[in-house]
Amino acid sequence: MSDIQQQFEAIEHTPFRQVREDAFRAFEKLGIPSSRHEEWKYTNIKAKLSKEFTFTPQESEVNKSVKAYISSLPAYAFRMVFLNGVFQSSMSIIPDLKGLTISSLKEAFSAHQELIEKHYGKLIDNNEEHFAALNTAFVNDGAFIHVSRNVNIEEPIFLHYFFTAGEAEAFTQTRNLVIAEEGASIQLAEDFRNASNIGVQYNHVSEVYVGKNAQVNVAKLQTETKNVIGIHTMEAQVDTDARFYSTTITFEANVIRNNATARLVGRNAHADLSGLYFAKDTAHIDTHILIDHVAPDCTSHQLYKGVLNDQATGIFNGKIFVKPDAQKTNAFQSSKALLLSPEASVNSKPQLEIFADDVKCSHGAAIGQLSAVDMFYMLSRGIPEEQAKQLLTYAFAHEVVEKIQSKPLRQHLCDKLKEALNLQL
Amino acid sequence: MLLQIKNLSARIGQKEILKGFNLDINAGEIHAIMGPNGTGKSTLASVLAGKPEYEVTSGEVWFQGKNLLEMSPDERAREGVFLAFQYPVEIPGVSTTNFMKAAVNAKRKHQGLTPMDAKDFLKMMTDKRAIVELSKEFTSRSLNQGFSGGEKKRNEIFQMAMLEPTLAVLDETDSGLDIDALRIVAEGVNKLRTADNAFLVITHYQRLLNYIVPDHVHVMYGGRIVKSGGKDLALQLEEKGYDWIKEEFADLVG
Ligand SMILES: Nc1ncnc2c1ncn2[C@@H]1O[C@H](COP(=O)(O)OP(=O)(O)OP(=O)(O)O)[C@@H](O)[C@H]1O
Ligand SMILES: [Mg+2]
Repeated sequence: MSDIQQQFEAIEHTPFRQVREDAFRAFEKLGIPSSRHEEWKYTNIKAKLSKEFTFTPQESEVNKSVKAYISSLPAYAFRMVFLNGVFQSSMSIIPDLKGLTISSLKEAFSAHQELIEKHYGKLIDNNEEHFAALNTAFVNDGAFIHVSRNVNIEEPIFLHYFFTAGEAEAFTQTRNLVIAEEGASIQLAEDFRNASNIGVQYNHVSEVYVGKNAQVNVAKLQTETKNVIGIHTMEAQVDTDARFYSTTITFEANVIRNNATARLVGRNAHADLSGLYFAKDTAHIDTHILIDHVAPDCTSHQLYKGVLNDQATGIFNGKIFVKPDAQKTNAFQSSKALLLSPEASVNSKPQLEIFADDVKCSHGAAIGQLSAVDMFYMLSRGIPEEQAKQLLTYAFAHEVVEKIQSKPLRQHLCDKLKEALNLQL
Repeated sequence: MLLQIKNLSARIGQKEILKGFNLDINAGEIHAIMGPNGTGKSTLASVLAGKPEYEVTSGEVWFQGKNLLEMSPDERAREGVFLAFQYPVEIPGVSTTNFMKAAVNAKRKHQGLTPMDAKDFLKMMTDKRAIVELSKEFTSRSLNQGFSGGEKKRNEIFQMAMLEPTLAVLDETDSGLDIDALRIVAEGVNKLRTADNAFLVITHYQRLLNYIVPDHVHVMYGGRIVKSGGKDLALQLEEKGYDWIKEEFADLVG
């Protein structure tokens, strides 16, 4: 820890030094969790991460792969680009729009002190969340997005996080703060990419405030994350009559952990969380969801699907908490996994804790193979076995992709899914 | 001869269902198979299509001079065998269009042809849909999902029209069809009939055979054909039921 201490001391002073200090102290107590920790039982993250860490941002050249990708992007209206956690303003597109602030977090620390003070780090429990505390202590930069009252932004805002391998110990900390004020609406696409062909490790945190009657959609893309050890924590607070949608798509990984929490704090709020992972080789993809029904009359919906090949492993842990005041809660959870190899495995655990009496909660989990009856129908029309499998797997998976709100993004992901499945039509 | 089934026996689990089944079909012919419930009609269709649950214990099947039983189910289909299912399955997430694109191009590849270009394929879809009066909406929807019983059956005949099989086995395609749909399906079959292909129509109702006129009618009982005749045999069955057959061949079921 002494090295970590030194690195922490060396971080430049910011207006919110105390927030870092508190998080650092909390992290010092927690450390990196071992698999003895209940929440990390099936993901031995300690063994996977490097033994020592370098948190200092790696100033690095924009490589060919990043340039090529950026120039291949369709003409979306908004984008921010980060390279190894460092904001790249020259590659970003941030038009001046009334009621919408898109800036780097660093800039926001001085330009939007009041909003930062009120929201930054407030959705995170430093005493429980090892990696969120670590992130708060060491984060270099990230995105700050604020939408004013009743402002509706139609086009998705893309946040591209590129990682190029630097030092083996580099552990990049990235961070988003998203605030949608009352009646506002916004769509985000957080895109994480390994732009090198060797391993990278990062730890990302997003805090999302969905104000009264506001709507926030988050698409989290982990489609180019080969050799990545990535830890994601998303904390959303959903207010009265507000709607929060989140869809996570994972196609490649060394180890990816997705933590997502939606806290329904105002009456009649709605949260819809979904995810699809497609795991091959020895990829390990772990999803931990918590839907916290605090207020009455709220609804929540979870749809998680995994497709596993080779020796891949998948973990799904879905918690639904219904607090005593949350009467008339309606919560639904479904998790399904398709095992395409006898060596692949899935561990799925729903966890319902209900402290109100007038609630409707249902959950279902299914782990299985492709249906033999469906397979035979395909074969009986002359479709070769391999292609029949691909078609049926596509059918299984694409339900989640359909949840992405932006049509061009959805189309792009459908194509990506076909590519991942090697499906040609 | 297009199809020759010789002394075919097959079982599922420990249960022997086909017991020495014989049938010859020539190109250009329509054969009807009738028979009481549970006598093995669908089993025969499944064995011909290559459903893996069924184990052939003896006998041979020759299709256009090739040993059908040695082929995988998808190979059989590409060679020109088609089964219209008694109970077509619903497959959410796969559109009929994509399903047919994969099937048609698999067959073309087998014939040494290049994949169809998108325009020609769409035209073919439109033409074939017209044969069974299936509206465009059905082919863009997920395969059979939420289709009524009759719509599913029409979709089977549409697929048959797309794939232009040499041997089509229709397993109770008429069950669950209203009068109009029955006529549409039957006319569809008649339009697809040529001197080079053949149909094996499994049905419980003589009614269908008014529209699709068979060259031969066979009665199946106890896992084999026990009587064959012309289309009059179907009328006779309609009138008398199966009791006389069951009595005559009581020793076949045990
Ligand atoms: N998986 C199975 N295990 C055991 N017996 C089976 C199985 N599947 C079918 N059978 C039996 O095989 C027999 C033949 O069934 P089949 O479906 O071929 O009859 P069918 O002549 O098509 O009847 P129907 O006119 O009702 O459609 C029936 O007695 C049926 O119960
Ligand atoms: Mg039957």
